[in-house]
Amino acid sequence: MGPAPAGAQLCGDTGDPEMMEPSLEGTVKEGKKESSKKHTVAGSSVEGLLQPVKLSRVELYKEPTSEELNRLRETESLFHSSLLRLQVEELLKEVRLSEKKKERIDAFLRDVNQRIMRVPSTPETELTDQAWLPAGVQVPLHQVPYTVKGCFRFLPPAQVTVVGSYLLGTCIRPDINVDVALTMPREILQDKDGLNQRYFRKRALYLAHLAHHLAQDPLFGSVRFSYTNGCHLKPLLLLRPNGKDEHLVTVRLHPCPPSDFFRPCRLLPSKNNVRSAWYRGQSPPGDGSPEPPTPHYNTWILQDIALESHMQLLSTVLGSASGLRDGVALLKVWLRQRELDKGLGGFSGFLVSMLVAFLVSTRKIHTTMSGYQVLRSVLQFLATTDLTVNGISLCFSSDPFLPALADFHQAFAVVFLDSSGRLNLCADVTASTYHQVQHEARLSMMLLDSKADDGFQLLLMTPKPMIRAFDHILHICPLSRLQAACHRLKLWPELQDHGGDYVSAALGPLTTLLEQGLRSRLHLLAHSRPPVSEWDISQDPPKHRDSGTLTLGLLLRPEGLTSVLELGPEADQPEAADFRQFWGSRSELRRFQDGAIREAVVWEAVSMSQKRLIPQQVVTHLLALHADIPDTCVHYMGGQLDALIQGLKETFSTGEESLAAAVRCYDELSRLLWGLEGLPLTVSAVQGAHPVLRYTEVFPPTPVWPAYSFHERLRERASLLPRPDKPCPAYVEPMTVVCHLEGSGQWPQDAEAIQRVRAAFQLRLSELLTQQHGLQCRATATHTDVLKDGFVFRICVAYQREPQILKEIRSPEGMISLRDTPASLRLEKDTKQLPLLTSALHGLQQQHPAFSGVARLAKRWVRAQLLGEEFTNESLDLVAAALFLHPEPFTPPSSPQVGFLRFLFLVSTFDWKNNPLIVNLNNELTAEEQVEIRSGFLAARTQLPVMVIVTPQDRKSSIWTQDGPSPQILQQLVVLAAKALPVLEKQLLDPRGPGDIRTVFRPPLDMYDVLIHLSPRHIPRHRQAVDSPAASFCRGLLSEPGPSSLMPVLGFDPPQLYLAQLREAFGDLALFFYDQHGGEVIGVLWKPTSFQPHPFKASNTKGRMVVSQGGELAMVPNVEAILEDFAILGEGLVRAVEARTEKWNV
Amino acid sequence: MVARRRKRAPRGSEDGIPGPLGYSAVPIKFSEKQQASHYLYMREHRVREGTKSSWPQKRTLFVLNVPPYCTEECLSRLLSPCGPVQSVELHGKPELAESPKEPKSKFFHPKPVPGFQVAYVVFRKPSGVAAAVALKGPLLVSTESHPVQSGVHKWIRDYTDSILDPEALRVEVDTFMETYDKKIAEEEAKAKEEEGVPDDEGWVKVTRRGRRPVLPRTEAASLRVLEREKRKRARKELLNFYAWQHRQTKMEHLAQLRKKFEEDKQRIELMRAQRKFRPY
Repeated sequence: MGPAPAGAQLCGDTGDPEMMEPSLEGTVKEGKKESSKKHTVAGSSVEGLLQPVKLSRVELYKEPTSEELNRLRETESLFHSSLLRLQVEELLKEVRLSEKKKERIDAFLRDVNQRIMRVPSTPETELTDQAWLPAGVQVPLHQVPYTVKGCFRFLPPAQVTVVGSYLLGTCIRPDINVDVALTMPREILQDKDGLNQRYFRKRALYLAHLAHHLAQDPLFGSVRFSYTNGCHLKPLLLLRPNGKDEHLVTVRLHPCPPSDFFRPCRLLPSKNNVRSAWYRGQSPPGDGSPEPPTPHYNTWILQDIALESHMQLLSTVLGSASGLRDGVALLKVWLRQRELDKGLGGFSGFLVSMLVAFLVSTRKIHTTMSGYQVLRSVLQFLATTDLTVNGISLCFSSDPFLPALADFHQAFAVVFLDSSGRLNLCADVTASTYHQVQHEARLSMMLLDSKADDGFQLLLMTPKPMIRAFDHILHICPLSRLQAACHRLKLWPELQDHGGDYVSAALGPLTTLLEQGLRSRLHLLAHSRPPVSEWDISQDPPKHRDSGTLTLGLLLRPEGLTSVLELGPEADQPEAADFRQFWGSRSELRRFQDGAIREAVVWEAVSMSQKRLIPQQVVTHLLALHADIPDTCVHYMGGQLDALIQGLKETFSTGEESLAAAVRCYDELSRLLWGLEGLPLTVSAVQGAHPVLRYTEVFPPTPVWPAYSFHERLRERASLLPRPDKPCPAYVEPMTVVCHLEGSGQWPQDAEAIQRVRAAFQLRLSELLTQQHGLQCRATATHTDVLKDGFVFRICVAYQREPQILKEIRSPEGMISLRDTPASLRLEKDTKQLPLLTSALHGLQQQHPAFSGVARLAKRWVRAQLLGEEFTNESLDLVAAALFLHPEPFTPPSSPQVGFLRFLFLVSTFDWKNNPLIVNLNNELTAEEQVEIRSGFLAARTQLPVMVIVTPQDRKSSIWTQDGPSPQILQQLVVLAAKALPVLEKQLLDPRGPGDIRTVFRPPLDMYDVLIHLSPRHIPRHRQAVDSPAASFCRGLLSEPGPSSLMPVLGFDPPQLYLAQLREAFGDLALFFYDQHGGEVIGVLWKPTSFQPHPFKASNTKGRMVVSQGGELAMVPNVEAILEDFAILGEGLVRAVEARTEKWNV
Repeated sequence: MVARRRKRAPRGSEDGIPGPLGYSAVPIKFSEKQQASHYLYMREHRVREGTKSSWPQKRTLFVLNVPPYCTEECLSRLLSPCGPVQSVELHGKPELAESPKEPKSKFFHPKPVPGFQVAYVVFRKPSGVAAAVALKGPLLVSTESHPVQSGVHKWIRDYTDSILDPEALRVEVDTFMETYDKKIAEEEAKAKEEEGVPDDEGWVKVTRRGRRPVLPRTEAASLRVLEREKRKRARKELLNFYAWQHRQTKMEHLAQLRKKFEEDKQRIELMRAQRKFRPY
């Protein structure tokens, strides 16, 4: 307070007083603003954290105004919640064009109009004589064959009209496009221009001349060619303003004929307008067979004619109803997020607008509906209607000369006729694209119906790129192979129709072929649409093969994946020949158990991972057989990541089989336990509590047969011991099994005594198992280790009431109340929650066979980043389970690869601060309960851990994340996932092959202050490392069961023992990071706060020393001694301690 | 921060090792090979007036910052030159009481992993404390004559030690349970005696074991009773009967909606701040 007024006074003294006042006022105001801003910040959201809303009583219970009531009522009837309404409004605000920008665009359009009209005309020349074209411009069309009759001259357009979404107000950001139709004067066109691409040639020349003149104008920042919706016969001209507005808008010029120039009856789908004689350069076969129809060619001409009438239709429908416009904008966002709207045959915004117009005309949508309702109705319509079978039409005239819908179905896959009844709006949409749209609409409807809280986010905000949406993808590259495929598939008429575009000509037949071949394994097949290229006017238009690769996405049906057999018809039936023809040499006659002799195809696959890749065999076989595409051109991305979870010796399996073997062994053991005779109390439940028993152990256990010579023997306990002179023996982790004993009055009511009784039971259990079943057992006070068929199980006896007894607290008045204590919580977690979780996830694996792979890949990755010990096993399993239980907006993954990508996406985008991750195991939580959980979460946010995972069994406390990770570690994981995802996706999308897939699994080491290098000799799991070493040490295992069975060395992992010591001794000075799967390095990060010198305290001297600092004594960590301690504590294991940073050199 | 870099040379000199108030610093190293050393901070064990401590006065040496590889035996050996050592105890943090005489069962309380610890060393004579405080060091934990195991050798030994004799466990459990059973039996006998017998003032103690068992005195039971009462009362009340009740429920509904609306607005605000509305 002191200096400020003094300064002001000084100012007032020297300067003139008039200047003073306003400036003072300004500061006062600013001050106020600042304080109010501060206030709101403190009140609403501190560092992006939601806080429970507190409204005063007066505010809550004041009389409502009619406006407020109206709004509330509207919200209830038009949207399904106020949150959704607000979200939709926000989204629309974000994607809409602002008025200011509109003004600028309008001004630009006026300029464009003027410039176009000023382009000079040219004298008439032959179409083939293009010498008049100036040097700097190329015709934006492949003129194949070149010779064509007709004359061309340039005249300024008869009319320039703005068409499309810009005028309708449904245009959305980013990339704002304004479509401008240039009506070519009648004088340019001739009578038979509809024939043999003459019209398209003239159109292209028209654009070329225009481009040349506009390119010289300084008004434009860039003048380039592109294709209309990717159609190779229809180029268009892109104009962008100069200077800073360059990215504001793109004006697209579409030349079009006068609307009544072509006779519509010439352009029906059954008519031919590209003569074979001209196109193929040969005379038509003499037998008088009719010319093939050219439906797509005809459609492209019709589209140009109808530009304006469509515009009129849409403006009458959408013009007055803002709800409809909102709906269209939302639908465009929806399509865009799903990558459905771009390219040739995309489901464009224009199509959706027409669909809305159709639904308005059939009264399924009313003009007063809100944007959300329009979205919902359209999705509902798409989800329930199959336009590939029952086309729809906007034409309601009963003109007998109009073609029937059936005619269109013959020529096109998807049928949606415009108001003229002659133009199929969906002509270029392939059946698979439409099915994809349908599939997406169905998923979205399910999402909307589920009333999920974050529906909006999932529906409109989550991108669904192909790589993350489909289980397997495959690239066909180079595209020129498709030309050969067209010939092989005898697609000449289609090529003629598509003007030589072999990619789109082959697309339909290829997808049909694959769909037929994959039948029971396939849920959905989608293809990428070639991107719409842009090129400079001085360049030749890109070739068909330049559009990169064709990518197909397969959404697999998990239940169909398990079969290796493709069952055909019986040998004597006529279909057998078709079957043989379809499968070629792979089809064999086989005799089946029921006596039938059938044609069948059998694929080679033994393990689950191989079965998952049968589609690859099918696809490569069929493509080679029918389309002449060799397997070198098919790049299949499905099992690329499998190598990371493969065991040491199994290169063909991703471990599902080994896990199943372990689980089978456990089942046998539990049966033995149930049937055990002679226990004083009966066994009431046997439950697994180990990752293996829920199929999520990264490297499944294999039966161990230890070599005696490798170990020290402890005969009296029948156990093997590690030998100091040998490398560390193989790591055997016992699998925990919880064995509940029945409740009885015999149990003592005292915690200490219960512990003793349990120990007695452990001893008894071990005796009985040895006596009755000859199993090698070793009992301790808390568990019994049992060796069965090479697997080791750790049976823990539990008593149901023990946690409760640990909780009991007697108050002074003698009232017994239950309070959680650390011991009771731990016991409850180990004997109650963990078995429940294990059985729930075991069940999940039965439903979704890919769960195991995804969970293990995810865990593998987190551990490879050295963060595995900060996250509990269970928390990572639950995150993986969430991908299956809440896959929206996707479907549950059917391959580990896509599941892992989604794991990375989830981790990198989930807002842990403001949301609990709800994992609704067994679907036990109702929607209301979930809402309750969310509100409870917000209220208790500060007491909860950073990462909150809620399950039906654990609704409040998130037990699996309570002890970690810390916010910094979680943040680190988020950052790593966000970095890894694009890298991995890029690798998988690269048609030349993914390169080194392990890149994202290698941890960054440059952030650590100290690296402790370990010697592989004492790392028992050395071979599990991401970059598996070519050779490692012998771990003393036999390949065959040995003569007798001594208990192998259990849970002996020197790096873990070392880490435990380090953490105990230096846990408050540093963090230690290690990959338990064969890591050779421990990363150490000093904790900055512990390095602040602080005064001497008897309770806090660990590893510190006293130094005098400016005359005062202070404690600082004794770094040099600590570094030497690292080596001492890990003697034999530590190879080198490398201090990498000097910054802590105190 | 940068200014904190200093030369290490003065530390080796005799008086150069700064010790905090009342403590003397004694360097300690694992073995000859190590360059740097940790410092033990020692002083005589003293407590403030009024606090009780079971350590013998004058004869107890209090040692801070004992490195993890330094065991009780080792410390005893290192300090024995100062005078005969009676006992050495290591603790995680300073404790005033001696640990109970009875050692904890090794079956039920496995040895924890050691970190830096504090030690209470009791000498037979008070002179030992003075001699220890005056030690110059550096002390060596592991020497050729008395090697201390660490690393792989230690882990293998620990693993071997962890495999215990089940018979010994059985014996221990049996003895424990015998005494426990005896104790319980005594208590029950006593309770039976008291059953129904009025005390001096004529009060009779009612227990669960009586002929007519009563409600257990637990929190859960009392909560259950309360809940039942509440339900009974709720059944008698009329709902939405009076006009004011109608009005109130409507108002309540409106308030709910308002609250929800406010919450939603807050969420939107947050989402906007996080740019969650850009679909591109």
